[in-house]
Amino acid sequence: MANYAKMQQIYADIRADFRYEHELYGCLNCGICTATCPSAQFYDYSPREIVQLLWTGNVEQIYDAMQEKIWACAQCMTCAARCPFKNSPGGLVAIMREIAIAHEMQSAKDVLRPFGRVMLKLITTGNQLSPDMIQPDHFPDWGPNIQKVEGNLRTLRKAIPVKTLQTVDTAWEVSLKTSVEMYTIWEMTGVLKSLQLMDENLFDVIEDFIDEKREEYEEWLEEQAE
Amino acid sequence: MQDTVLVVGAGPAGLSAAASVANAGYQAVLVEKETVLGGAPILSGYAKLVPSGEWAKEAIGRMIHNVEAHPRISVHKGAQVERFGGEPGQFSATLSTGQTVSAGATILATGFTHFDSVNKPEWGFGTFEDVITTSQMEQMVASGKITCPSDGRVPERVAILLCVGSRDRQIGREWCSKICCTVSANLAIEIKELSPQTEVFIYYMDIRTFGLYEDRFYWKSQEEFKTKFVKARIAEITASGDGRLLLKGEDTLVKRPIMIPFDLVVHAIGMDPNLDNPRLAQTFGITLQHHGYLERAEFYTNPCGTTRPGVYACGAAYGPETIDDSIAQGAAAASRAMADLHALAKAG
Repeated sequence: MANYAKMQQIYADIRADFRYEHELYGCLNCGICTATCPSAQFYDYSPREIVQLLWTGNVEQIYDAMQEKIWACAQCMTCAARCPFKNSPGGLVAIMREIAIAHEMQSAKDVLRPFGRVMLKLITTGNQLSPDMIQPDHFPDWGPNIQKVEGNLRTLRKAIPVKTLQTVDTAWEVSLKTSVEMYTIWEMTGVLKSLQLMDENLFDVIEDFIDEKREEYEEWLEEQAE
Repeated sequence: MQDTVLVVGAGPAGLSAAASVANAGYQAVLVEKETVLGGAPILSGYAKLVPSGEWAKEAIGRMIHNVEAHPRISVHKGAQVERFGGEPGQFSATLSTGQTVSAGATILATGFTHFDSVNKPEWGFGTFEDVITTSQMEQMVASGKITCPSDGRVPERVAILLCVGSRDRQIGREWCSKICCTVSANLAIEIKELSPQTEVFIYYMDIRTFGLYEDRFYWKSQEEFKTKFVKARIAEITASGDGRLLLKGEDTLVKRPIMIPFDLVVHAIGMDPNLDNPRLAQTFGITLQHHGYLERAEFYTNPCGTTRPGVYACGAAYGPETIDDSIAQGAAAASRAMADLHALAKAG
């Protein structure tokens, strides 16, 4: 549990975000956001509650909501599309998540840990999911059907008559130049820094990968020059 | 010429303005684009009016009769002003019928356009037969029978959704339409009177039965007619398997999303600026305010004026307005127009 000063700082950081005023104009508690929210159907989560909570300025309750509630949002932004004020409760959640990460909240680490495999793939290749990630262990909800994709991935892949889809460790053929440009974006937008705060080990693995790819790209450029 | 006032629009405001002009001994020329007089209450077939409780046909009908029978009012139906020029004391208007009207002053009583509910597709109007507007419910009440359009059954549960086309930044309606809360409470009473077994629910963000409408409509509909007011804005309307409608909302008291079945859903539609306003602004050389209603000259010393001297306005042309206030404004605009003409005549 954080001390009061820390919770105050977290709340101050949320409000200081440049998007905050744009995401929250006013609220009449009409509930249209919660009524339309798919997450609210299944979880103890309500976009209206998030908006109202931020208005109360109750830093303990806000801190509490950042432990679990804000991670139930699917970021579908239906709330933003429906709100008669054009507020974006989903946008407020995005800010709160970023602040949770910036403050290295344990809850954020716990929530994000299962996404490590996806993060690795996404940050290194720009692909969220690739055929070789479809392993029986990772998709228990698929039941016995998972057996159909096990073993002969390359053959299955070849059966798809689209040229760019003949890969198994990425969803499509990833260009080296695009990858290197993407790494610059990850760096400049603070994604890598956020990752480092959440999972130092994963960050090290990814950084090594990025260094390697950058070297590869430099070599390729030199080859072209010759 | 200086004793003639051109009045454009023959709804409550325009009828009132024309009658005031004529009763004061001036000449009025009333131009109405529709072929019948009376404006929205007559054209949309309103039932009993707020706050008098009189049937629209009788109340507005009386105004129409006074205007049509008045020797100093000439009426042009099915006509629009196509060209307009001149200055205070001597304006000239050419009508779509080819006729020319000379007038010392002009009063625009051009009213509003009902919000078109198809602009909020998630609320099912145009998709489900049993989703209707307050205008249609007014007509149903006037016909004396409350039924579901889909199969003619008497509805067990009716939901009235407030703020349809009002107070909604998503669709650029950043105004309160002022009348819908009271109209809806009044309709709930009328529904219950005609169909005592029907339960009526009103879904709202705020209830704005301002002034003397509070006890006569809001409280009365709850206390005497058992209307249930629920603080929630409905997110979507879908159909359930049994042919009823399902409303998706949040019960803001228990803070959980809910699905509620209804037989009939009524959109309490708001008041848009008249669709003709851009054309009217061009024809009459006046300015519209940023929502698209007519710009008022000045709030405190020239409340009936537009941005063009000698051209006045009244009623819902300026923004959402009640029938009784539109009538009062019509009389006020007429007084102001005649006073200015009188001053011109004295000076000239």
